[in-house]
Amino acid sequence: MADPKPEQSLVQVKGLKKYFPITQGIILQRKVADVKAVDGLDFEIRRGETLGLVGESGCGKSTTGRAILQLYRPTAGDVFFKGKDLCKLQGEELRKMRRHMQMIFQDPYASLNPRMTVGDIIGEPLEVHNISKGKEKKERVQELLQIVGLNPYFVNRYPHEFSGGQRQRIGVARSLAVNPDFIVCDEPISALDVSIQAQIINLLEELQQKFHLTYLFIAHDLSVVRHISDRIAVMYLGKIVELTDRNALYKTPLHPYTKALLSAVPIPDPVVEEKRERIILVGDVPSPVRPPSGCHFHTRCPIVMDICKKDDPAFRDVGADHWVACHAV
Amino acid sequence: MAQSDLFATRRQSAQAYILRRILTNPPAALGAIVIGLMFVTALFAPFIAPYAYDQQNLDQIEKPPSAAHWFGTDALGRDMFSRIVWGARSAVFVILMVTLVNLALGIPLGALAGYLEGWADTIIMRVADILFAFPGLLFVFFVASTIKPGVMHWARSSGLSELANTGYLDYAVVILALGVIGWAGLARLIRAQVLTIKQREFVLGARAIGVPTSRIIARHILPNAVTPIIVAMSMGLGDIALSEGYLSFLGIGLQPPAPSWGNIIAENAGRYWRQFPQMIWLVFIPGLVLAAIVFAFNFFGDGLNEALNPEISD
Amino acid sequence: MGTLLEVKDLRTEFHTQDGVVHAVNGVSFHLDEGETLGLVGESGCGKSVSMLSVMRLIPMPPGKIASGQVMFQGRDLVKVDDEEIRSVRGNKIAMVFQDPMTSLNPVLTINTQISEALELHLGMTKEQARKRAIELLKMVGIPEAEGRIDDYPHQFSGGMRQRVMIAMALSCSPQLLIADEPTTALDVTIQAQIIDIVKRLKRELGMAIIWITHDLGVIAGLADRINVMYAGFVIESASNKELFGNPLHPYTLGLLGSIPRLDAALKSKLTPIEGLPPDLIEMPKGCPFYDRCRYRTEKCANENPALELGAVRHWVACWHWQDVRKLRKQ
Repeated sequence: MADPKPEQSLVQVKGLKKYFPITQGIILQRKVADVKAVDGLDFEIRRGETLGLVGESGCGKSTTGRAILQLYRPTAGDVFFKGKDLCKLQGEELRKMRRHMQMIFQDPYASLNPRMTVGDIIGEPLEVHNISKGKEKKERVQELLQIVGLNPYFVNRYPHEFSGGQRQRIGVARSLAVNPDFIVCDEPISALDVSIQAQIINLLEELQQKFHLTYLFIAHDLSVVRHISDRIAVMYLGKIVELTDRNALYKTPLHPYTKALLSAVPIPDPVVEEKRERIILVGDVPSPVRPPSGCHFHTRCPIVMDICKKDDPAFRDVGADHWVACHAV
Repeated sequence: MAQSDLFATRRQSAQAYILRRILTNPPAALGAIVIGLMFVTALFAPFIAPYAYDQQNLDQIEKPPSAAHWFGTDALGRDMFSRIVWGARSAVFVILMVTLVNLALGIPLGALAGYLEGWADTIIMRVADILFAFPGLLFVFFVASTIKPGVMHWARSSGLSELANTGYLDYAVVILALGVIGWAGLARLIRAQVLTIKQREFVLGARAIGVPTSRIIARHILPNAVTPIIVAMSMGLGDIALSEGYLSFLGIGLQPPAPSWGNIIAENAGRYWRQFPQMIWLVFIPGLVLAAIVFAFNFFGDGLNEALNPEISD
Repeated sequence: MGTLLEVKDLRTEFHTQDGVVHAVNGVSFHLDEGETLGLVGESGCGKSVSMLSVMRLIPMPPGKIASGQVMFQGRDLVKVDDEEIRSVRGNKIAMVFQDPMTSLNPVLTINTQISEALELHLGMTKEQARKRAIELLKMVGIPEAEGRIDDYPHQFSGGMRQRVMIAMALSCSPQLLIADEPTTALDVTIQAQIIDIVKRLKRELGMAIIWITHDLGVIAGLADRINVMYAGFVIESASNKELFGNPLHPYTLGLLGSIPRLDAALKSKLTPIEGLPPDLIEMPKGCPFYDRCRYRTEKCANENPALELGAVRHWVACWHWQDVRKLRKQ
């Protein structure tokens, strides 16, 4: 947000696809189909910004984050980061790149090794990247604990001794340890209680300013994403359907799915709720194994046309950096 | 930051919690005491046993328990109490060595099979299946009747007759036989554990920060697989003690005069049947000791399992 | 309208290895016929446990209803025998849970599961029950209900399963439907569908609803009245509009300030509630919110405030609600 050159892009994603094969047979496994979790994404993440990635469960948003970081190797496409195509890096080269890109996970209970102390957890990235050892490492760990608002005295405790919000702070400290440029935040607050969520959101915002971080913020909650992001990408069934500035997305949404999504978000105000017109989508999200022909959204779209069933709409800039994939726009 | 967030919730040491749960579970606590006694006895056998295990006193043959001979004497006038005490040492030695062999084979093979999957997994697990399906006793017979005489012959002919005579080879046969059979079950268990733990998010988290594969297995996966391994092992230890007992009983394990509980039962069993019930102590006491150890390991293993997985007990 | 349910001084505790967990600490409220009551709070605030206690569905042991009355149609549900409570459950009071997959039996068809209650409570024959089950599925908007009634739970999506759960809950036309976070596991567009259905069914069938949730947005669009719970206490109770328009408890105010609103002007920062809820084993002597409260005084540390009237039909448990109101208005 407070970056001098906001237009400089840090991560470029080109034609990113991630298919998970479905296999059958016990001894001779053969592929019978693919789960097309991510089905061709093109976008960039600009230095110093927070790009929000929203969508419903199964839309591929988490897979996108993991495919960018090469935790899942993409089926096709390129991810350029710091002048290198991450999809082409292997083994040790890729491992060394992880110093510059980190991840914060959704579930603070599952993402910390229960058998390691907080000091070991936060110190591990320092050790495996040969950044610091011994006393120096210990001091850095304590500094990190302080940065995320935990008592440095906690280094010898285990994750189970902390609450959800505190564990998430530990996860944040671990991702900060190596001074990364880019952090994928994969639903970092959705497992937390309402009153704790705001603590973590504020922490992430503070850290972004302090350390000039770039975030890919993945979430299903549009209100939170709108609050924290500079630009927002909306995903549906493996594709980005709309990507623009947060204000534009809220004030002038162009894609019918974005509109429905916005109208479905409940607002904590009975007076507003009474007057709201909801666009209730029919049916469920189709299976990513057999996505609908043409536009993936056509089975639920309130303004579906004949062309939508045949042709997949192009993801294009309709002006003022507002990208959308819809035939009706 | 908020002051109150600086205070973590309940501070609780995992070890203290487990210990408390075992000690408040009577069968497990009893098991722990019996196991502890066996280890102490094994360690201090020379100080506890009033006589040497092979010391004969021909004036005192087949005497019932008395103040001088707590567990009586056998047909060769040896003190039964001393023999059982020394037997504990044999049992503990075999248990520990077999477990070591099991672990040394089972952990790396199981972990590799689970982490790598694919061909490595198929090969390792098929070998384990074969060992599992193969009758263990048969394997020991095979080792004892073919390999052992060969090695003995080689040892004598190459001037190592000392080695052949001291009985070390008997230990080696028992340990090797039980060790080679036993790893398969452990490897299966570890593989299953690794397969599940590999899917857990903290492993992905470790990959995300750039932890190398070998370190992921050693520091993130295996330590989390420890609980069921410990439980399976503590139950398996009783089985090893029992196996050593029946191998020696059948005469293919430790050879007399080595003091093994199985041996002691075998040596005296003939008499016991002929002169029932006069000589009952000769079989009854070593049998009871062996049974107590097997039960102790099982009780302790059950208690440990409940302590480590509190949700299953309630 | 008459009173349907009256809960008086309900206390539920769990006896665990670590000590006694005080989950519900003297909760009192009433519910009118046909009314929708929202029960709002974070995890561990006692909102689910209090309702499970009403249904006598908490596991005993370790759970225990330590005291209190649950008056429903002239009977105290805490005291009635097991047979009587079973005749109430699923029949007069039905419940819908957060995770439809764990509440549905995976090896039985939907027909078997819905018909069970109909045959049991209403004495229907198999054919009658099947016909009614199809009607119910249509009522909750399951397309091609006749074709899907013999399917198994795993053949339905999450949203459809929750509809099946609602159909099951409504099978015996209950007077009260308790919905325990029924949309929390669902996506927003599916959540909107379910809320839409529940609102319609309420209009058509006129049952009372207790809707348990942590989501203030969901409850704002649904409830007539709202109870806010914290650490096993009801700390504020008011009509929906009154609560959101004139929140008096610092915790309620804090909750509203800590969630970003989709329609509000963008703020640079949220105002979180700092700290953590109290340990339910070692409950503080005074106000349970004391540690996290910005209005706290000496008195709050020592005395736990009871609910008192702060405005018309608006109760609040805080020593300083008047200050809260003044400061909020500034």
